[in-house]
Order: sequence, then structure tokens, then C-alpha cells
Amino acid sequence: MRYLTPFRFGRRNVPEAREFEAHPLDLFQREMNRLFDEFFKGTGLRRWAEDFESFGSFTPQVNMTEDEKSIVVSAELPGMDEKDIEISLSKDSLTIKGEKKEEAEHKGKEAYCIERSYGSFTRVLPLPKEVNPDKAEATFKKGVLTVTLPKVEKEKGSQKKIKIKAD
Amino acid sequence: MEDAKKNIEKAQAKDASLAERTKDRVIFTPAVDITEDSNNLYIYADVPGATEKGVNITLENDVLTIEAQVEEAPMEGYTRTYSEYATGDYYRAFTLNEAIDRDKIEATLKDGVLGIVLPKAEAVKSKKIPIKAG
Repeated sequence: MRYLTPFRFGRRNVPEAREFEAHPLDLFQREMNRLFDEFFKGTGLRRWAEDFESFGSFTPQVNMTEDEKSIVVSAELPGMDEKDIEISLSKDSLTIKGEKKEEAEHKGKEAYCIERSYGSFTRVLPLPKEVNPDKAEATFKKGVLTVTLPKVEKEKGSQKKIKIKAD
Repeated sequence: MEDAKKNIEKAQAKDASLAERTKDRVIFTPAVDITEDSNNLYIYADVPGATEKGVNITLENDVLTIEAQVEEAPMEGYTRTYSEYATGDYYRAFTLNEAIDRDKIEATLKDGVLGIVLPKAEAVKSKKIPIKAG
């Protein structure tokens, strides 16, 4: 049913899914989604919906890079403590959760200008390749979170040729 | 509350007074929080990825300038699958309306947040005046 809704809340949080299922109907669906997205963008309705959805939360920006052996996901999370960040990994997706609290810095002070983001966030990122969860590593340095996920090496020779016997 | 939406996209700096740079890098305007108590003015700026060495804070003619350079880790052999943010340096300038004790300005850099404490000069500190009961 998910595919039939014109636009999904929180869609912008999710990068394009894997591309291998590019059935013509999917392509058509994608095109329709895009049309709806564009339409709502114009009216400001979509923005409103997004505002509503993300009240008291924020969406950190992430980058994903990969080479032959691993996928590296990085996210900018300034002002957060590594204890407040939770990373979980499933076979094909990575979830980054966290909460940034405001109180400590602003306690007892008068605020003039608050531009930085506070609140909680959750990001679920579909992974383009299968990864090995046991060897995943994460570092948090200078407000930048980096998660390294080694790809699962495909077993060589798992494909077998079967001889056909002729009578 | 218009700012409820916190899709934190970094805004590219478009300060006209910013001189042209020799380095070909994108410059961002960091998001800041400015707070005050009776003794100090506090500025917190989000500068993820910036190093202590790369941070430059100057106060000249009541204009406080923050510059932060980001050291980019080279990612050789990697291809970008998905990208939402770009890396670049940070720049922002503020005009201070209050007298600041210049010698006592302190700055810290922790977890990608630059915190600047600007102590107010003695002359402008607000004083509580006790009322004598007659």
C-alpha cells in the first residue's frame, strides 16, 4: 500500500532505495511521486506537513560513500555526546538515533538567538549492499560521526555449473 | 514557531564584506545560539569538523569574526553513494553592541561546537539597586 500513497511523510529522510527493482511500473510510480511532491511543494502544504512532523526534532545531514570493501556513513552532529547517539544495524539498513538536550548550555541565561537544533532524531538509511554487522565500527570526532561498515564478501564459487547428461 | 522544522541544512555564506578567497572552498554560515546573563555574553556556533588550529576568532572595532577551517579526511577510492551535506569552512561576523572586556574573552571547542564567552565590561554590568525602606 505504501507505494500507492502519493507522498510519504518523512520521505526526505530516506535516500533512494536500491535500484535493482526498476520495473516499468515502479518507474511510473516514482514519476507520479515526484509529480505530487512538486505539486505540494508549490502550495506550501508539504512544507507544513513536514513542519508538523518534525516538531521538537531535527534531521541531521548524512553522507554515504563506498569503495569495494566498505560503506562509510558520516553525519554532522555538533554538540552531541557519543553517549547520546545510538546506532543499530540490520541486514540492509542502518539506524542512527539520538537526542540533543538544550538545557545545559542555556540554563539561567537569556536567549537572543537560537538557530542551532535541539531535540531527538532518528534516521534510517537503506544500505546499498549487504554488510557485516560484527565488523562495523563507529567514531565520533569533532562533532562528526563516522560509521564504517565492511561489505559482506560474496562467496566465490557458490555458483556451480551442472552438467547435463546426454542419453 | 517557524523554526520548528529543523532540517539542518547548512547555509552558504553570502557576506558581501567577505573578501574573495584564494582557496577554492565553500564557506558556510554556522548556526549560532546567543545568550546572555548578567556577567557574560555567550555565543555557541555549530562548526562540525573544525579543528582547534583552524579556528580564528577576532574582535576588531566591535565586530567579532569567527572563522573555522575544516580538515577534510581524504577518501581515496571511495565513491559517493549519497550526499546531503558538503564540507567547507565556516565564517560569520557579529557586531557587538555592548562593551566587552576584551582581555577576558574565552573560547572552547568541544564536539564540533565553538563556545565563546564574552565578559561584559564592568561599566555596563547591570547592578541591582537595593531600595531602602524609609
